[in-house]
Amino acid sequence: MTEQLRESLSALMDDEATELELHRVLGELESDTALRQTWVRYQLARSAMAGQPVSHPRLDISRSVSAAIAAETGAKTSRSSLRERWVRPLASLAVAASVTAVVVLGGQQLYQAGSLEGQSAPVAASGVSAVGFVNSLGAVPMRASYGAQAVPQLEPAARTAYRELARQRMYQYMQEHAEHAALNSPQGLIPFARVPQIEE
Amino acid sequence: MKCVARQLASSVVCGLMLWAGGVAAQGAVCNEADAEALQWLARMAKSRSEVAYHGVVTLQRGDDMQVVQVARSLADGYSSEHLTRLTGQGAQVVRPHHPLNCTHPGEQLLTLGDRVDAGDCGLASYYRFKVSPGERIAGRQSVKLEIQPRDMYRYGFLLELDQDTALMLRASTLGRGDKTLERFQFADLSYGEPLAPRPGMDTVHPAAHPHPDYPATGARLSVPWNVSWLPSGFTATDAADPEGPRRTFTDGLAVFSVFLEQLPRELRPGEGLARLGSSLSYTRGMHLADQPVLVTVIGEVPVNTARMVADSIRVAR
Repeated sequence: MTEQLRESLSALMDDEATELELHRVLGELESDTALRQTWVRYQLARSAMAGQPVSHPRLDISRSVSAAIAAETGAKTSRSSLRERWVRPLASLAVAASVTAVVVLGGQQLYQAGSLEGQSAPVAASGVSAVGFVNSLGAVPMRASYGAQAVPQLEPAARTAYRELARQRMYQYMQEHAEHAALNSPQGLIPFARVPQIEE
Repeated sequence: MKCVARQLASSVVCGLMLWAGGVAAQGAVCNEADAEALQWLARMAKSRSEVAYHGVVTLQRGDDMQVVQVARSLADGYSSEHLTRLTGQGAQVVRPHHPLNCTHPGEQLLTLGDRVDAGDCGLASYYRFKVSPGERIAGRQSVKLEIQPRDMYRYGFLLELDQDTALMLRASTLGRGDKTLERFQFADLSYGEPLAPRPGMDTVHPAAHPHPDYPATGARLSVPWNVSWLPSGFTATDAADPEGPRRTFTDGLAVFSVFLEQLPRELRPGEGLARLGSSLSYTRGMHLADQPVLVTVIGEVPVNTARMVADSIRVAR
């Protein structure tokens, strides 16, 4: 996988990809295993963040992607009319959406079938966190309320927990970051003004 | 005081660190505007060892504004700096006796401007520059540097420097659509020897001086790791212990740090994000050498940079 493709992929994730990048990624996804795996990782992370529920049968990624590419190519072949020019971006968006859906499902398939399977439950189920999570990650109330319900019920808790984790880590690490930023950015000691609580 | 003991080592080490600047060169042709901006950035970096001042600075992030007093004095080949919070926490950060001849990688990336004539465009490979006359700030006439990133891995900046001393009077960090994420600005500025530090602080923190050559001692992980992808132009700020929990990188204007924690049990994979002004905290639960780890990227970079960097963490071979 080339660096350019990775960048395009990242851009696609952040909805910043150009149509050209989209087309290139679509083309490469079919044949590039590494790219597909990167995409799956991004999507896994993203779907965990967005709290998307997942329970779907196996899907053939490559075939669906081929179909998506064919659809997009079809949309591109005739570009004479004004209407076509308006429709084309919409077609691209639709393709992006369909590829996202397909790969997310595929990713979840890997997630369920692979060695990661067991790890969705422990975090949700245990109240005490080894990395200093607050209760939101322990999700004890969730467990009490939803008990044996499947993973999707816990997704919003995980999303909230990760956001809380990011906030906590900002407090924890900002001073150490500032020590280095103060010597390596032009503002002198100013990076310390960003530290929520300066410790001795 | 630490710096005194290390002065000899520092000067040697700092000489070795010159390589860091070479990494930034990408053979681009420097245009005239870039060259002028790079000269200003170099002057700004050098002002660190040439200009003594004291003043009051505001730091604005969204609705939040903090006020700090800053001062720098120069004597006998050393600088002394302090920053005192005037709002919120009663805290002070001091950096006494920093050798003037000790320049860290971030400063060296900025002073590449000197070598522009040799075709080395340095930061101009990653940023577009525009120089124009600025307005009065803290009673001083300024020159304005508009700095736009050439890729999506760093923010833009608007730097306004003192026309006479090149001291940075105002700095705005610009996100997408030129939205101001953070702005710091001198409200009051006097050149010359500074006032004595304020007494009666609850907290006085001596700023660390990470030694470029010797990794800091401290907590270690059981797995050596590295970051296998960086946005172009970024370089490590200090020597990294392969098993140390932190790495920090800079392109001269932006800085971010990566922290790795090994977890004693499985963590559901996922990511989380918190922002404060231009600062970002991105956490990611993932696996490294089949062990669950939590990666956190803290710094003044966009989220896609943090995500890409986190994704590129590998076991060091």
